[in-house]
Amino acid sequence: MFDQESLEPTAGSRQSTASRPSALAFGLLLLAASVAVAGPSGPRRPATGRFAGDVDAKGLTQLLARQRGKVVLVNFWATWCEPCRQEYPDLVRLQRKLGTRGLQVVGISTDFASALPAAEKFLAEQRPTFPNYHKKSGGDDQDFINAIDKGWGGELPFSVLYDRTGKKSKTLSGKHSYADYEREVLSILK
Amino acid sequence: MWMNWMRATLMTAALIGLATAARAAGPDVGAAAPAFTLTTLDGQPFSLSDAAKSHKAVVVMFIATKCPYSNAYNDRMRDMAAAYEKRGVLFVGINSNKTEPADEVREHAKKHGFAFPLMKDPENKVADLYDARHTPEIYVVDPAGKLRYHGRIDENYEEPSKVSSPDLKNALEEMLTGKSIAKAETKAFGCSIKRV
Repeated sequence: MFDQESLEPTAGSRQSTASRPSALAFGLLLLAASVAVAGPSGPRRPATGRFAGDVDAKGLTQLLARQRGKVVLVNFWATWCEPCRQEYPDLVRLQRKLGTRGLQVVGISTDFASALPAAEKFLAEQRPTFPNYHKKSGGDDQDFINAIDKGWGGELPFSVLYDRTGKKSKTLSGKHSYADYEREVLSILK
Repeated sequence: MWMNWMRATLMTAALIGLATAARAAGPDVGAAAPAFTLTTLDGQPFSLSDAAKSHKAVVVMFIATKCPYSNAYNDRMRDMAAAYEKRGVLFVGINSNKTEPADEVREHAKKHGFAFPLMKDPENKVADLYDARHTPEIYVVDPAGKLRYHGRIDENYEEPSKVSSPDLKNALEEMLTGKSIAKAETKAFGCSIKRV
């Protein structure tokens, strides 16, 4: 499971108040209480059909800075994006397999606010063990896109891989296979 | 010696890998727009070079039938194409998605009242030529065959009545009045083109 505290939403996000110790403790209690029991053969998994908060480009930069020491794969997705939905289970699998070795996947949904219920339903179905944020509404998407990567044209899905020092290592445009993601992650997961 | 050979081999392999992974970059704004010919869904030949010479501008739109972002612009594409046709500007639609066959594109165009020429782009060759990444993605070509604008239609896919940056419209107006285009490259989210 991801490091709950270090991946808290940044200031201005919908859950920014959770940074207070009491709120965090209460949140953890709620999380513990909401742990879902899987089928007879399945493991106990946390309920993850919620976004960790809203994030803008600045907030994402701050969030990444707190992940130094880990390899981070940021995946931009949306529920209306069919290839995003197709590759998402592979990202869930990747985090489960390589999380203990230092990989941290972070999902960023670019869904519009009106599609948030559908996005949360998607998360509940996928049960990712990594945090997902929602791109903050408003502003010009172009500014967000350029802040993430100048070479990004805005196509989805889009992923950015950062090494343990926080340096951008690779961008992956469009849908990729599990093998592609694993190969790229393993190449810098030293 | 053996180490040197290994190092050289690995470096060569890495370079080949990089070359294979990289897609050809598209044209820069101001550079020549790559020439292409396709056949319209009506069976007519279409040559970008010929179309550019006979129009004040050609608006090449990479579009889709299933992409919500592209579909959000159906009415705007239809209306702009009709309005600018009267002023000598030709709009054309290209569908490069391998997942959307010609019949589907034809049906989609009929449903949304597209009167502009539409083409399938077999094996996404034209999309590759331009390095078009997603739908909708727009390229505007002038009579000299130069690329003058690349990017989005506007910044607000969700609410046409609240558009604050009508970038394609601005670019066309500037072109038609002989001005330089203030914002010649723009970006927006879109659905990646489903390549072969």
